[in-house]
Amino acid sequence: MNRILITGNVAAAWGARLADIDYCPAFPITPQTEIIETLAAWIDQGEMPGRLVMLESEHAMVTAAGAAAATGVRVFSATSSQGLLYALEMLYNVAGWRAPFVLVNVSRGLAAPITLEPDHNDILAARDCGFLQIHCATCQEVLDSVLMAYRLGEDPSVRLPVLVNLDGFYLSFTREPVDIPDPSAVREFLPPFDAGTIRFRASAPESQAVAVLSGGPYSYFRYEMHLAARNGLAAYDRIATEFEASFGRNWPAVEAYRCEDAEQLFVMMGSFATKAKAAVDSLRAAGWRIGLLRPRLLRPFPEGLFRYWMRGKRGAAVIDQNISLGSGGVLYSEVAAAIHGQPDMPLLTSFIGGLGGRDIPPEEFFEMARIARDAAEQGQAPPPRLLYTADELRETRKLQTLARVERARLSGGEQP
Amino acid sequence: MSETRFTNVKQLPSVHLLGSGSPMCAGCGGLEALHQVYDILGTNTVFVNAAGCMTLLAVYPFTPFRGSWLYTAMASAPAGAQGIRDALDVLKERRGLPPEEDMQVVVLTGDGSAYGMGLSATSGAIERGLDFLYLCYDNEGYGNTGQQSSAATPHGARTATDLTGIGFHGEKKPLFDIWAAHRPPYVATVIGSEPLDLARKIEKAKAIKGPRLIIALSPCPTGWGFDPQESVAIGKLAVNTGVWPLKEYVDGKVVHTKIPRRRVPVASYLEAQGRFAHLFKPERNEAVLAEIQARVDGYWAGVEEVVAPPTPTLPQGGRG
Amino acid sequence: MKTAGRILGTAFFREGYEVQDAPRYGAERRGAPIFAFVRADKNPILERGIIRRPDLAVVADDTLAPMPSAGVLAGMDGHSLMLINSHETAETWRGRLALPGRVLVLPASAEVEVEGRAALPQVGAACAGAAARLVGVIGPDALAAAIRDELGHLGEGVVADNLGVASHAYDLLAAEAGAVTERPPQAADAWQSPDWIDLPFEGAGISAPAIHAGLTSELMQTGLWRTMRPVIDPERCNHCWWVCSTFCPDSAISVDGKGNPHIDYDHCKGCLVCLAQCPPHAIRAVPEQREQGRE
Repeated sequence: MNRILITGNVAAAWGARLADIDYCPAFPITPQTEIIETLAAWIDQGEMPGRLVMLESEHAMVTAAGAAAATGVRVFSATSSQGLLYALEMLYNVAGWRAPFVLVNVSRGLAAPITLEPDHNDILAARDCGFLQIHCATCQEVLDSVLMAYRLGEDPSVRLPVLVNLDGFYLSFTREPVDIPDPSAVREFLPPFDAGTIRFRASAPESQAVAVLSGGPYSYFRYEMHLAARNGLAAYDRIATEFEASFGRNWPAVEAYRCEDAEQLFVMMGSFATKAKAAVDSLRAAGWRIGLLRPRLLRPFPEGLFRYWMRGKRGAAVIDQNISLGSGGVLYSEVAAAIHGQPDMPLLTSFIGGLGGRDIPPEEFFEMARIARDAAEQGQAPPPRLLYTADELRETRKLQTLARVERARLSGGEQP
Repeated sequence: MSETRFTNVKQLPSVHLLGSGSPMCAGCGGLEALHQVYDILGTNTVFVNAAGCMTLLAVYPFTPFRGSWLYTAMASAPAGAQGIRDALDVLKERRGLPPEEDMQVVVLTGDGSAYGMGLSATSGAIERGLDFLYLCYDNEGYGNTGQQSSAATPHGARTATDLTGIGFHGEKKPLFDIWAAHRPPYVATVIGSEPLDLARKIEKAKAIKGPRLIIALSPCPTGWGFDPQESVAIGKLAVNTGVWPLKEYVDGKVVHTKIPRRRVPVASYLEAQGRFAHLFKPERNEAVLAEIQARVDGYWAGVEEVVAPPTPTLPQGGRG
Repeated sequence: MKTAGRILGTAFFREGYEVQDAPRYGAERRGAPIFAFVRADKNPILERGIIRRPDLAVVADDTLAPMPSAGVLAGMDGHSLMLINSHETAETWRGRLALPGRVLVLPASAEVEVEGRAALPQVGAACAGAAARLVGVIGPDALAAAIRDELGHLGEGVVADNLGVASHAYDLLAAEAGAVTERPPQAADAWQSPDWIDLPFEGAGISAPAIHAGLTSELMQTGLWRTMRPVIDPERCNHCWWVCSTFCPDSAISVDGKGNPHIDYDHCKGCLVCLAQCPPHAIRAVPEQREQGRE
């Protein structure tokens, strides 16, 4: 065991290093920067081979990443938030090239107003682009997921790029003990990338990412991407089994924590889900039969596992650390779609919180559990709850006062 | 700089490498330049394309290239070239790729990308010293969408977004100068109507390592409003009026490769194109014509009598 | 053809019809064959897109009709009438194309040799005028007004030329007024189920939008685009080696070892740059329609 104390960012860099990457196009953005700085230092100091090139934007960075993968090398890159959105055109584009590589996203709330701390609106904006998505809750998971992501994306039944998500600050800048796997064991688990026929060589002319102009062939290519992504479910299970055999850690597509005999569930993804785990333990100690479901794999969406774990439960609180403005929680609608029309499913209640890194303390988890339980008993879901306290509004009011917002116009928590 | 193997028009290739059957407009000046460029560059190339007319050169399952191609996006073709170049280098260094499997990486974009959306990516690629060749087919507008004004549109041209008055009020952005200001090893202007000049420049660029950037003025029957058969004639007028200076930036100096000794008045170039018809009918807009002429005269007045390598002038066709 | 479709659409609209008209764009640029369609109904039109079963198909360029790749015959059945711009007879076309429905001929293109594209007659206006008569519900005033609406921005001269051509075609087909009739809408009491399949997953080597070979564009017969054909007079060719072949944007002219240029008519788009640039004027242009008739 080589267990060391490192941040989530350094864990991501270790993943790239152990994956024996060839190429890393890079562009800095808080809170991702430490990843590329770490890799640049290792490459400069000869501790790992490969080439790191600073591009002039994330759009260019993802283009270069896709083009290099399309040439047949193993590529790693990382970004965050605004950077991911700046690259969004290319995320959709390179996924269609069927050129697999791993892109780490360090989640951070989106402008405006611009902010630094995390929520999942950035990564969810890339939900439909053809990249598969793995969401991490610990620094160990970040390293392990990068290795699994290469296996997943490069699997011949998939061959799509993969996004690995970790939350800014809560993982990116937080040190935790991480076991660094043995490089030779990693090489066995993850052999070199075989690009097959999709690559650029002088001896084999290849036109890639060619235009199509009618719905027939376009639908074919897009449906095939969808089928490839769906193949990711079986491929993931296979890879997770192999990973556990090699490294002793089990990372299922959906983590089910104390769900076996539970009547109630929390459903949550990302690093805040460990807070939900703690709340499960406290509630269990108080006599509740409650558990946590945490999807690690968001694309492809493992609806089968959701149905399996939710069958027979009475209620579930889906906690979204994102907000689809004008609709609500993204995970809530995904889960609702997965269980709709299925027998014996729990009543879902929707909660939105943790935006821009806003904390979710234990008592809020307890309260959400209570509301979800009551709703299940009454058979009627309340409207989505936006987690926000009177205290928070009072604090914001102070800022508004300093911002010279007319007091007469302020309402709610404090009367003018 | 190596001497050219093209000293005479008779040395120009008479069998061509670029496939026919592409969907470009009949008489396309951009395709004219590209097919000449391709003859010189050869098939050991991977073209990296940005959104523009020539995106449709490769429409599944048809390609006119004997070599390779990657479509990227309007803003980032040079970054795509970066990824391919780096990957080929890494494959050679680390993964035993035989050198004969290597290729020239060629960016191919229109003026919309080159002068505008893709300029940041180009600037980055030059500054990183990327070993690539950039070919811009410049038809002075967003031709693929119906000729709206781009940053390459010349003053006074009517476009789909400049339908009234004198037409486009702005000035054509000096992309050659902007590129050259990055001090890359090679920048040049070419045009399909001057094939010998084009061949020599591509030959020269091919032999250089690092960023090499070429702008090909591309007479556009559809966007400029002239009969396709006039495409080459219009190109020759662009050169002989001095509107399109043929030049190269090499070793820190700008050299004009063809100096029109007696420049034809710009009006004869403008009058041949529908996009400038409003400057002649119903009556001649002498003010704007004089303004355009003065700008061309001013340019050439600023061109010092440079020691240009003696360029054999193109004969008007072969003499048997 | 886009303009012809718009003239017909506007004429219907002026006669009080609900209308849809649209051109259909492909990859090809200026000079390539183009399609346009027009729907008209007294009731709001709910159908959209390509007309699957036309009541009337107007073919402006008869060189396209026999080409399967041009798709001129798509959806033609016994109810469909074809109007074709040609100097051959309706019977010839009906037999050649094995059409189940009626064929009418409109001799709109000049038979005489013309100097260039500009001299080609206003085929689009002729087609619009003829179609307006065939549908039987468009009066001459609506047709004339539609031409003004659609071409007015090009000036009075263009309008007058096109008016003349369109009304000539309109008159020519007086006996066939109303020959085009509306077919009943598709009934929903019985239908053939779509042949849906469960698409099999295919590896990226197959299912990526990638072409694993070069030069496949040569399978595209861009020679179909030509309205004028360049013809080399070997007597006048001075074997310069390079002018026509270098200037041809489409790589459609090659020069053999003896210095003789050869035009690849499967791919020559008819831009005529070669004609304009040939120093000894050894290349002339002939109308494609006549040349194909001769073959």
